[in-house]
Amino acid sequence: MAGRLLWGRGWAVAGWAPGLCALPALPAFPGPRRGCGEAAALRAMGFTQEQARRLLGLQPRLGPQRREAAAAELLLLGLSAEAALGLLERSPELLRMPAERLQERSAELRRLGFCGGQLQRAVSCCPQLFTLPRRRMAATVRMLRERCLFTAEQLREVLRSCPAVLLEEPCHLHHHFQYAYFRMGVQQKEMVKARLFQMPFVELRNRHIFLERRGLYQTPHKGQTQTGNPKLKDILQLPEKDFLSSLAHSTPEEYQVFKKLLAREEEEKEEEEGRDALYTEEDEDLDGEGSNRAWE
Amino acid sequence: MAALGGRGRAAAALLRRGTPPPGLGAGPRRYRYKEKWAATAPRIPPTRLALHHFDVNYSLQLKDLWPSVRASLLCEQKYGALLNNFSAVDHVPQELELLNATDIVSEARKKAQRSQQAAAAEEVGRGESRSQEGSGEGRTAMRAETVTQAEMSPLLRASITSNIKCYTFPRGDITRFRPARPDTLGLLDYYLIDAASLLPVLALNVRPDDLVLDLCAAPGGKTLALLQTGICGRLAANDVSISRTKRLHQILHSYVPKEIRETVSVTSCDGRDWGQLQGGTFHKVLVDVPCTTDRHSAMEDDNNIFHKRRTKERQMLPMLQLQLLIMNM
Repeated sequence: MAGRLLWGRGWAVAGWAPGLCALPALPAFPGPRRGCGEAAALRAMGFTQEQARRLLGLQPRLGPQRREAAAAELLLLGLSAEAALGLLERSPELLRMPAERLQERSAELRRLGFCGGQLQRAVSCCPQLFTLPRRRMAATVRMLRERCLFTAEQLREVLRSCPAVLLEEPCHLHHHFQYAYFRMGVQQKEMVKARLFQMPFVELRNRHIFLERRGLYQTPHKGQTQTGNPKLKDILQLPEKDFLSSLAHSTPEEYQVFKKLLAREEEEKEEEEGRDALYTEEDEDLDGEGSNRAWE
Repeated sequence: MAALGGRGRAAAALLRRGTPPPGLGAGPRRYRYKEKWAATAPRIPPTRLALHHFDVNYSLQLKDLWPSVRASLLCEQKYGALLNNFSAVDHVPQELELLNATDIVSEARKKAQRSQQAAAAEEVGRGESRSQEGSGEGRTAMRAETVTQAEMSPLLRASITSNIKCYTFPRGDITRFRPARPDTLGLLDYYLIDAASLLPVLALNVRPDDLVLDLCAAPGGKTLALLQTGICGRLAANDVSISRTKRLHQILHSYVPKEIRETVSVTSCDGRDWGQLQGGTFHKVLVDVPCTTDRHSAMEDDNNIFHKRRTKERQMLPMLQLQLLIMNM
């Protein structure tokens, strides 16, 4: 602890010769004594000398409490020291989070259904789960429950299979859902099984419209239970080559040209809608009736 | 369900299927009729009826090719640029070639010539092995050439003399042509046409000074192509619809100089009555019979022959087509 107190004062002084401590290869910024204290704390947590050095190199002006809290929280989640370090190196903004926030977020994520290894994996692949503003995350979760009508269990499964969902813009996510629900006629259960949100929306639309225009996919009519449509799981999870050969019965060349044409169509449609938006007002019709009817 | 609707405008946009491709649409959306969603029996749009009809019929005829054809009907059309030989612009072929477009008529000609030469070479080879027994090389070479001439397809013979030039972008290239531009005299440099429309014109194999009748000429793409050959003795262009004939006139005005226009007689009568009303004999008659206009029918609900109120008209099409063909043989 004495080391830490010294750190407070030594911080402002430049030019302290490194290597006054027995710590090798310290970065040449103020306060080897500070380095000593901190490094020791980190090592106590389980980091090696080298790892502690790297950790200290991130965001050097940061207070030790933040650094240690972030590191501690990651270790608590079950990450190894190296993994935690790697994560912090990739996303140094994590270091700026106060300890309470990190803990709150972990708790929140656990409540949402991430447990043990899942949470660890989720954080490793999407460190922004920790830096995401609380309100935004809550809005996304609320939207998935209240507007998309996923059950709690389904929501858990969606989040587990695709944690990045929480990072999406809620309105994009909603549009993605609505596309699958209304345009493709897929129910929530199937969406969850197929891991709908793992595939980017544009790719989903490419594959769906390709099938549709080839006559291999048809939006179900209201009340229609049986369709000859291929399963969403197959559409999404087959790699492109297999999707083309076994579902679309087409060639990569044809699909490439189709994607170009569709991209241009969508681009021009958006431009046109942008222009129209300047002239038209929000249509009461569509808001009222539109939400009562699922599809034509 | 109300929750699922959410942003109603977005959901409505998602359900708007079969929107016309941009650039060919019916005008700004704010002026278009907004169909109300019926609360009672669903109204099936004519485009859907048309597609169903095509699915039933063309899948039988085209089999495995139908899905690709269907998708291409529903995607943006690929055009060819029919060059206007009457306009003074010389640099258009170079301009188009710089963009990687090629003249499909001359390409077809070259390709056929190459395959003829290959067949001729093969023939010579066979001839040579046959002539091992004694005949001179000269004889076999000559035989090969005469074989070549006789085997040349009518389409190829026609395209050789046709003067028709049509540029398209290569396979897989979705570049669009820029709009046609007028020369100093006001004549446009090219006419955008579906390249397949040229095939009947080429197959017609117009010969110098032929009297040609285009019975269902409007809007006028094929008529224009016929005029591009430069060898029609006289061209009669007819269409039953007066409004469509007006379009034909516009095209002739935009593309063809006055002295050539004067050799074209435009009429508006029923093709089945042509013999009685106009008469005369022609060397060549082109009848582009009224059809189900598949691409339009699959994409546009307006003016769609698959609309319920036009069912009778559509069902009479085959008979109309037959009458037009027979009456004019």
